[in-house]
Order: sequence, then structure tokens, then C-alpha cells
Amino acid sequence: MNAVAARVGGIGWTHPRTIGIVGIVLGALAFWLALPPLASRTAALPVAIGILAVAAGIWTFSRDERRVGGGAIAAGLLGIAFGVLATRSSSTHLDQVVVWSALGAATLRYATPLIYAAIGGLFCERSGVINVALEGMLLTGAFFGIWGAIWAQSWAGGAAWLVGVGSAALAGMVLATVHAIWAIHLKVDQIISGFALNFLALGITGYLFIDKYGDTGTPGDVPGIPDVHIHFLQNWYFVGPIIGQLNLMIWLSFVLLVGTYILVFRTPFGLRLRAVGEHPRAADTVGISVYKVRYVAVIASGAIAAMGGAYLSIGFVHSFNEGMTNGTGFIGLAALVFGKWRPFPTWGATLLFGFSSALADRLPNAYGNQWGTLFQALPYLLTLVAVAGVIGRSIGPAAAGRPYEKQ
Amino acid sequence: MTDELSAEEAIEPPPPPDGIPQPQQHFRSRFGGLKGAIAPLLTTILAFFMGGLVVLLTGKNPLRVYKAVWDGTGLNWFVHVGHHSARVPFGTAHMWFPWDTASIAAQNLQQTLLVTTPIILTGLAVAFAFRCGMFNIGGQGQYFAGTIFAVWLGSSFNGMAPWLHVLLCLAVGTVAGAVWAGIAGILKATVGAHEVISTIMLNWIAIWVGSYLFGQGGPLQNSAQKSIPISNDIFDGAKLPVFWGLKLLQGLSIGIFIALAMLIVYWIVINRTTLGFEVRAVGFNPEAARYGGVSVARNYFLAMAISGAFAGLAGAVDITGWEYRIGQNDIQLGGSSGIGFIGLAAALLGRNTTLGVGFASLLFGALINGTSGRQLDPSIFRPDLAGNLTTIIQGLVILFVGLNLGGVWVWLKRRRGA
Amino acid sequence: MPEGPLLELRGISKRFPGVLANDDVNFDLRPGEVHALLGENGAGKSTLMNILYGLYTPDEGQILLHGKPIDLGSTKAAIEHGIGMVHQHFMLIPVMTVAENIVLATEPRRAGVLMDYDAARRRVRELSERYGLLVDPDARIDRTSVGQQQRVEILKALYRGAEILILDEPTAVLTPQEAKELFEIIRSLTGQGKSIIFISHKLNEVLEVADRVTTLRRGVVVDTIDAEGATEEGLARMMVGREVLLRVDKKPSQPEGALLQVEHLSVVDDRGLETVRDVSFDVRAGEILGLAGVDANGQSELIDAIAGLRHVSAGRIVVDGRDMTNADAKETLDAGIGHIPEDRHRRGLVLPFSLTENLALHAYRHEPNSRRGLLNPRAMTARARKLLREFDVRGGAPATPAFALSGGNQQKVVLAREIDGDPKVLIAAQPTRGLDVGAIEFVHRRLVEQRDAGRAVFLVSLELEEILSLSDRILVIYEGRIVGEFPPTATEEELGLAMTGGSQGKAA
Repeated sequence: MNAVAARVGGIGWTHPRTIGIVGIVLGALAFWLALPPLASRTAALPVAIGILAVAAGIWTFSRDERRVGGGAIAAGLLGIAFGVLATRSSSTHLDQVVVWSALGAATLRYATPLIYAAIGGLFCERSGVINVALEGMLLTGAFFGIWGAIWAQSWAGGAAWLVGVGSAALAGMVLATVHAIWAIHLKVDQIISGFALNFLALGITGYLFIDKYGDTGTPGDVPGIPDVHIHFLQNWYFVGPIIGQLNLMIWLSFVLLVGTYILVFRTPFGLRLRAVGEHPRAADTVGISVYKVRYVAVIASGAIAAMGGAYLSIGFVHSFNEGMTNGTGFIGLAALVFGKWRPFPTWGATLLFGFSSALADRLPNAYGNQWGTLFQALPYLLTLVAVAGVIGRSIGPAAAGRPYEKQ
Repeated sequence: MTDELSAEEAIEPPPPPDGIPQPQQHFRSRFGGLKGAIAPLLTTILAFFMGGLVVLLTGKNPLRVYKAVWDGTGLNWFVHVGHHSARVPFGTAHMWFPWDTASIAAQNLQQTLLVTTPIILTGLAVAFAFRCGMFNIGGQGQYFAGTIFAVWLGSSFNGMAPWLHVLLCLAVGTVAGAVWAGIAGILKATVGAHEVISTIMLNWIAIWVGSYLFGQGGPLQNSAQKSIPISNDIFDGAKLPVFWGLKLLQGLSIGIFIALAMLIVYWIVINRTTLGFEVRAVGFNPEAARYGGVSVARNYFLAMAISGAFAGLAGAVDITGWEYRIGQNDIQLGGSSGIGFIGLAAALLGRNTTLGVGFASLLFGALINGTSGRQLDPSIFRPDLAGNLTTIIQGLVILFVGLNLGGVWVWLKRRRGA
Repeated sequence: MPEGPLLELRGISKRFPGVLANDDVNFDLRPGEVHALLGENGAGKSTLMNILYGLYTPDEGQILLHGKPIDLGSTKAAIEHGIGMVHQHFMLIPVMTVAENIVLATEPRRAGVLMDYDAARRRVRELSERYGLLVDPDARIDRTSVGQQQRVEILKALYRGAEILILDEPTAVLTPQEAKELFEIIRSLTGQGKSIIFISHKLNEVLEVADRVTTLRRGVVVDTIDAEGATEEGLARMMVGREVLLRVDKKPSQPEGALLQVEHLSVVDDRGLETVRDVSFDVRAGEILGLAGVDANGQSELIDAIAGLRHVSAGRIVVDGRDMTNADAKETLDAGIGHIPEDRHRRGLVLPFSLTENLALHAYRHEPNSRRGLLNPRAMTARARKLLREFDVRGGAPATPAFALSGGNQQKVVLAREIDGDPKVLIAAQPTRGLDVGAIEFVHRRLVEQRDAGRAVFLVSLELEEILSLSDRILVIYEGRIVGEFPPTATEEELGLAMTGGSQGKAA
């Protein structure tokens, strides 16, 4: 059934999956060509390339690679839509909005809390426990991060941010422990307990925030997480503004991604984690403690997600406001689903969502506020399409959501 | 081949074949009548107790706080019975009435009932979906769908006959909510997409689309004040009649009766129609329902659509009943803790039954009103602190609801007796 | 010649609520032998082996290894003592590779933290070659055949140092060719000093591969004999022979035209395997056709296909002249097929529903139970009261939830619902499973009543005496095919033989 591949250099060039990926790239290309610096002004070009992308997608879809095929079709259609839109708007507007270096840096900044949230979610869900409380963990980390930093300012000075990150992680673990007990031992429905924690986090952080900083807000001189200045890179033509002065937490997030990949897919711990999430009874029969693995995974997820929140408050905006995460945790969850619970595809999804947030940030420069607002809906729409595209079978860890009964 | 199941296990539906989790069926109380209220009661008491602990830990007196909140709810209106004179609604004549309809407590009560109205409806939305074994977390988005269409239609068609205008807004708002939820329903029925993820995504899509529509420069933005991201006001003809209190001071509209009527409609549909029969069968045991010839996919779709209809109606009723306009800010604020989510708490606490949802909605409505800036004396407790306290209590309620405290209580009794 | 048995189970008893699963069982295993454990469903084989593997603790008795008593409180303890088990339902993780599944929880490491995949692969290949169990270490489990998966399970046990292997119904999921390969593997394993306990109900296989055979019946050991010189008939007699409890009093049947015709039906199950193979039969009005067979030989899929719950891959189903192949459940019900499902808790009843509602599970769509979508509770309750009285259902009123009733009464409710639907064809799948004698008698009487009223009754059961006492004709199904037709005067041994693939000298 699979196309017989003409294997050139080890890659099957006519393999459906490859064609599908090419389709997705073509779709992105269709849009990109209409943007500066190439800024093609004819609508024909993005349309033509977009049609190629859709065609590739349909071909791939019919060869039973539904997900990649669907992705190519979607990319092609979106590429046509956005490409045409771009060719219709004035070049000055485009130049104002599409400043790739600024977009790139902003993408990374927006994507980072998503990465922490999504990776946290990855550990938890890979062990078989559903985590919709990522939003709450993020928010908890945001508040307790800044709270810790402010508290430590008097005695730790410039290093107070370290205390902040630490206290954020701690708070996240406490929240996660409640989820763990409820889900693993009390065997309550995991979605309900997750939502309850979201509300609790919202209420508790809001309450404590107003109680301590209500009238004046958080102080403006909170020691933030430092940026990492790479001097020799900073003045490079294109790459410089993007990665020359990234925040420490962003660099840490890369380490986290690689580390997660190694831990989950290359160590015995990761093997057992995945086993517990796929087939807990099989893991049990070879002597793995399902409960222990799940507890570790859930509590770790709380720490990691909370650290992303700390980045948000003491690394990005340098303040705290009630409910400041505003659904970021859910986008993180969406990125995880989109990325099929694997670190690098999830990272790709967070970059995609980060890019759309960065773009939405810059759109008002030229087009007015309303388009920026509308654009914010894009990540959610993409996830909806992705979720719909998985036809029938659940793609997450097979035992996710079902409490384990030891016999 | 399965063995005989004990009565305990028998209540749980068989594990789904594809790994997608189903909500536990603890919500239908096994104890009918008054005994069924034990668990929600215990849950509420426990939640309030823990909320009081939070207050205590930050150096305030929980009892004073709760008393202040109670006073603000207006529920104390019922306590003072006397001889008063009240105006007949929609008329000018006066009649004898045991309670003072113009007192402060009365006004507070109006506010409470005003807030309770949409909670009842979003609570019914969640409850209906739960009856079919599905989580509708998208009540907030469906509510906004109703809001958007109600505002849009209400601020168009100047001069339309009032009863028609109101009806139009309510009807279209309901349908909008149904369609919005129906998307998730179709996805579940056809490709088996889990409704938790799809409804959450639809929530945020609705929030951002709504923010766009009424934001600065948006197509439905106020035509007069271009600097404020707010919609046009709806015309007077599209407003629900207010029967208690003054319209200008947010008196109580007949929306409360619509909500109460919907409680009855919910009961009738669930218990007295063939559709409700199928929905309940699928919710309890999709396998057995299938064996009985019921189309499981069709019911998933219908249940979500009806669920969304309730939530959409809530949005429309709020607009035509007292809000009269919607701003980008209101939409953004609702994102994490709006009416849709309070409805979730109400449905869980009320165990998806008619009476339960009714009372739970009243509880939350009273709590929200009692802690709002209008009602609460800032010297006792800051209203914004109180608002967060409400959210905390909401979270605690949901957290404890799943524990089936009623079952624990009965188990304890049995142990003591044995 | 070995001095004594390697493993001995003495006086093992195990009780579960309501049933004595193992009653003073004695069993021993000699080094290097293949000892088969034979018995019907519910005979106690699985319980005994679960005790041996540490999943259950026996109420009485002891286990001796090399003559010394041991305590098997957990599977870990069992593994440490060198006991390995290959379950009937594999404990493999589908998305992981063969090597990953085998080394799980005892993974070889590199630098202490990382997984050493090369070492894992090497070790798996070593074992694989030593025992002749050819597997590809890097293949994902969900892309391997069932036969290969079984080899992985065996390797899993060997990797952990098992000297004693328990194989639970290993050929249940194998093709005949794969089963042959398995026997080769077993011979190779015993040649290398392993001892094997082989649980089965397939007589021909048992005789082919075993050295000794122990037969269990209703929790008691019937006998332990040498396989050499044993016959299939003898084994069948040991396995199923018991006094006939009930014989229903019934008039001879007077069958008329066929109401259900199944022609060359083939059905594929959820895993893509063909579980019903080219099955053809008729059920005539006024007769009870019994289908005998051991569990999981295709009966469930066959019934599902007829009832409109499963897709048919080939063939036709005709109900009273109407082609109902691949109709859905609702159409099938309306066409006149009644179905008493084999699992009343999962499929027959909605347990939290009241008896009224359960009785109306099909009829709710029609008058007088509902009109234009509105239910008529009074009519439904009245109907329920009538049916409950007619069918002598005890333990509840119309408003009682179904879970409050005993098993027998629950089954009566299901019966009442189906029979009240006035079906032309009544399918009864395991209708008396888990019921007491009184309830069994009631159900049997009702089925005969239906047959006398001119219906076609299709009875599918695992209980031979039920089949023999009720049926006017008997078919036997084995591995998805109809392997024989018998009159109701057939003996249990004849049927037992056919059910286990032993008729006409049929090999695996």
C-alpha cells in the first residue's frame, strides 16, 4: 500500500509522508513569499504555490497518511488566504509589521512560557494522568515567583530572582501534589480536579496579590531574570537581535527540551514512565510501581510549569496581575496535543503559536487594534483543526485519564 | 467473559474502548429525596470552612466577612416578615405584601437573582451534557455566542415591535449557542474528538472573535464612541421588561422567570421525552444503549447542541435583561472565571438535577453578589479580595464534589453501626 | 532420572465470594516436562496459575519448590523464584519495541543513566537464538503478528531467568501454523531444561505436546495421567462428564419455514482477524437451534453480526425473507430479532435505570409508551407492572433501579423486554449464566414457550447440558467454523470432542 520509494540518499523521496511535509512547507512558503523581504505583490504566486501544497496534501491524505496530509491541506489553504491578504495590503504596512528580527525575538519570548507549560504537561500525561491544570500551575508560578524575588531582595540582592524561581517551583509542586493525590489515590475524575485547581490557583494568587500589593501593584524594581548577552553574536545581521540577548530562562527552555527528550526516550526512567502511561498493568506485572512513577511525574510537571510562570512574571513583563496568564496554560496544552506528546514537535507548535502571538502584537502598528485581537484566536483554531484531524483513535498515552487499580 | 459485578461496580460505565476518559457517573445521587442533598451540603460546608481558613490566615475575621457577605446577598430579606405595601408589577395599583419590596435587602436580592439567572442557564448547559456522559467546558464560549448575537440584533432594527425584538434576540442567541456547542458535538460524533479539548478551544476562539468584534476598530464597535472598545447599546425595544425595582438601577427583569422556566424545560426534556431517555441511556451505558438500537453518535451531537442552547440563552438573557451592551473588557475578564465556569461549579454541586442546579446557582449567585463591589463594605473586607475568595470557594467546591462525600458519610455511618 | 518434583502444589484451596475456585488441589511439575492443565471455563485453571504467579494467595495449602516451601506474595517473588507466566491477554506495550518490552524494569544501562539499547538488542538476540524464538528486537509490538508477540512474552519470562514457564491458553490466538511453531519452541525449551505448564482446553494439542495431563473440573482435580496412551475421548470424558441436572419437559418440535437464514457468513473482529468463517445455517419457526462451542470461538461476533451490531465481511443474513445483512441495530430490532445479550450488565441493562425504563429500552419509541417524542410514564409503568408480574420478577417495583435486583431477576427483566417485543427470531446468548437453579428453570421454560408459539429460537451457550436439554438441533462451532450438526440425543462426549477440535481426527 505504501508508495514504493525511490530511495535516494536514504530518504524516500516519493514516500507519502515526505510529500506531505513538502506540502506543509509549500503552504508556509506561499505566505512567506508575500512578506518582506521578498514581498511578492502578485496574488497569483501565493495562490499557485498554495494550490501545489493542497494538491500534495490531498495526495498524501489518500495514501493513508491522514495527519500529515491534512496538515498540508490546511497549510496550503492558510498560505493562500494569508498570502493573498498580504499582497492586498500596502508594502509600508507590511514593512511596519513584518520586521523579522523583532518577530523572531518576540516569538521566542511568547513561546517560552508555552514550552514550560507544555513540557510540564508532557511528563504528567505521559504517565497517564491528564493535566488541565497547567494554567493554574503557570499562574501559581508567576505569582510565587515574583513574591519570592521581592521577599529575597533584601538579603539576596541581584540574585533574588533565583529565590523567585525556586519558590515558584515549590508552589507549583504543592499544587501538583493536590492533583496527584486526587487523581491517583482518591481516583477522582482528573479533568474535574484539574479545573478545580485552576480556579483555586486563580483565586489564591489573586487574593494574595491584592492582600499584599493591592493598591500599588508589584514594585517596579523587582530583580528580573537576567538576559544572556552574547556579545559576538549581537551585531550579526539577522540572527543578532533574535538570539543575542535572550533571557536566561529561554536558554534554559532549550536545555529543558533536549533534556526532556533524552530523559523520556533514552533513559530507563523514561521507558518506565511511558510504560506506566501506555499499559499500567503490564508495567505492574514487571514490578514497576505505577503509583510512585505517576506521583513523581505529576509533581515534576507542577515544578516545570510553574517555572514557566516565573519566567512570565520576573523574566518577561516584570510584574504580576490577577489572572495574567489568560489562557496561556491552555495554549500550552494545545501545543502538547498538537505535538503528539513529543518534545520537539511540541516545541514546533509552541513556536507556531508564539509566532502568531508575536504577529498579533505587531499588527496594530499598521492595521489597527482589531486585527491583532482577531489573530489571537489563531492558535486555538489550529489546535481545533488538529484535534479534529485525528480520526477516531486517541493518540495520547493509551491509559491517560484512567485511575489505576492495583489488584 | 465478565463475572458478576457488585452493585458498586455496576454504576460505573464500562471502560471506553478507545481510551478517552468518561466523566464518572457519581453525579446521579443514589439516594433519592433529601438524602441526595447530603453530599452537596457537606461539600459546601467544607468549602466555606476552608475559605474561612484562608481568610483567617491572612489576618481577618472570617465570621465578620461571611456575615457582611450574607447581608449583601439580600437573602436576609426573607427573614423580616411584616406588613408592607407593594406595587403590582407592570401596573400602578398597590397590594398588601409580607415583605418590604423597596428595602435595601430587597435591592440586594434583586441583584442576587439577576446574577443567579445566567448561572441557572449555564448550569443547565453543563448538566445536560453530563447526563449524556460528556463534559461541556465550553459554556463560556457558548454564552458569548449568545451575547454577541443578542447585542448585534438588539442594536439593529430600530423600531421593531418590542415583543418581536426581544424574542428575536433570545431565539438567535439560543441558536448561536447551540451551533457553537454543536461543532464540538459533531466532532465527537464523527471523528471521536474529545469534547474537553474542542470546547476549551472553542471558548477561546469565541473570546477573541468577540474581543475583535467589539474592540477598537471592530465591525460591531460602538458607532458613537470610537475610543472605547464597547458595543452599541441595544434599543429599548429589545430590553426585557423589569418587574421589580427600577430599570435604571438594574432592577430584576423577567429573565429570572425565563431561567426558572428553563429549569422546568430541562426536567421535562430529560425525564419525559424520548430524547431525554436516549440521552440518559447513552450517558449511563453507551453499550447497552447501542444494543437497544439507540444511535450513540446522534445523541452526542444533540446533547451538545441542546447544552449550548441553554448557555447561549444565558448570554442573550443577560444582554436583554440588564447588561444592554458588551465591552471587550467584559469578554476578556470572562475568559477564566466567567459565568460559563460558574455554571460548571453549579452543575457539579447540584449533581445535574433540576433542584440541585437551581439551589446551587442561587448559592453562587448570592456569593458573587454578596462579594461584589456594590454590596460589600470595604472596611470589613475588600471587594476584590472577596471576589477572589469566591473563586477559591468555587474551586474548593469542585475539588470536593468529586469525592462523593455523601458516600463517605453513609460509609462512616455503616461502620459505626456494624 | 530426577529425584523428586521440581514444583509441588499441595492441598491448594481458594475461595471467592460465592464460589470455591480451587478445592484441595494437588499438582506437581517434574523438571524438563510439559505438564498440561485441562479443563472447561470456570474449572479453576486460571485461579490456580494466578496463585502460582503470585497474583492471588491461597486460602489453604502450600507450594514447594525443590522440596522447600515458598511464599509467593507477589509477582516479583514469583519471578525471583524462577516462575514466569505468559498470560492469555498479552502484557505488552503496543507502541514500544520488542527489546524495550523485554528489558522493561531491568534495563541495561550506559553511564548509569542512559539506556543501553545496543546491549538490550544484543541480549535479546542471544536469548532469541538460544531458544529458537526468532524476533526482531527493533520491531514495534503493534506491527508484529500475534505469534511473534507471544514469542516476545516468552522471551520476557526467559530474560528474567524463568525456569518454570506457565503458558495460559497459548494457542487461543494463534493460527494453526503458528501453533505448530509454538510446539517446536516448547520442545526446544524443555530440551534446554525448562519446565512448562500448559493450560488448554484443546484436546488434540494437549496430546501432541504434553508429557502429563491433569484435568480440573469445578475446582477439583479429576486425575493426573500420562499423555502417552491417553485418548481424546478419555480426556473429554474427564473434562465434561457430569450428571445431567435438568431436562426440560417439552413436546417434540414442529418446525416450519426458516425465519433466520445465515449464508456463508464471515465476520472480522476488532483486531482484524476473521473470527467467523463461512458459516451457514437456518433457524426455523417453532424450533430451538443450539450452538455449542468453547468460549471465544466466534460466537460473540456471529451474534453481533446477526443483531446488527457488527459489520459483515462476507455472506448474507435473511430475516423472514428480508435481507438484513449489515442493517443497524434499530432496523434489526424492528425487523423482528430479539436479542438476550450475553452480558446483562454491560449490554443488556442500563443498571442505574429503573425497571420501567429498562423494560422500555426498545419500546420507548412506540405507542403507548410515547407519543410524538413525549414519554407517557403512566403507560410505561403500567406496562412494566404487567410484565414484572407475568415474568415473576422479584425484588423490585417498576421504579426500582436495575442494579438492586439479583442476577436472576435482572435476567428475567431482559427476557421480559425481549419477549414482549414479539420477535420472530429470539437470540439467547448465555441466558442462564450466573443464575440459580430456579431462575435457570424459568428461563428454559420461557424459551420453550416461545418456540411453541412459533418463534425461531437461536440458543448460544457454553453449558452443554443446557444445549442438550433445550435444543431441537445442535450445531458446534470451533475456530469460527461450524464443524458438526448433532441431534439432541448426542452425548456430551461427542459434543465435547467437536467443540475442542477433536472430531473426525481434526488436527490443530
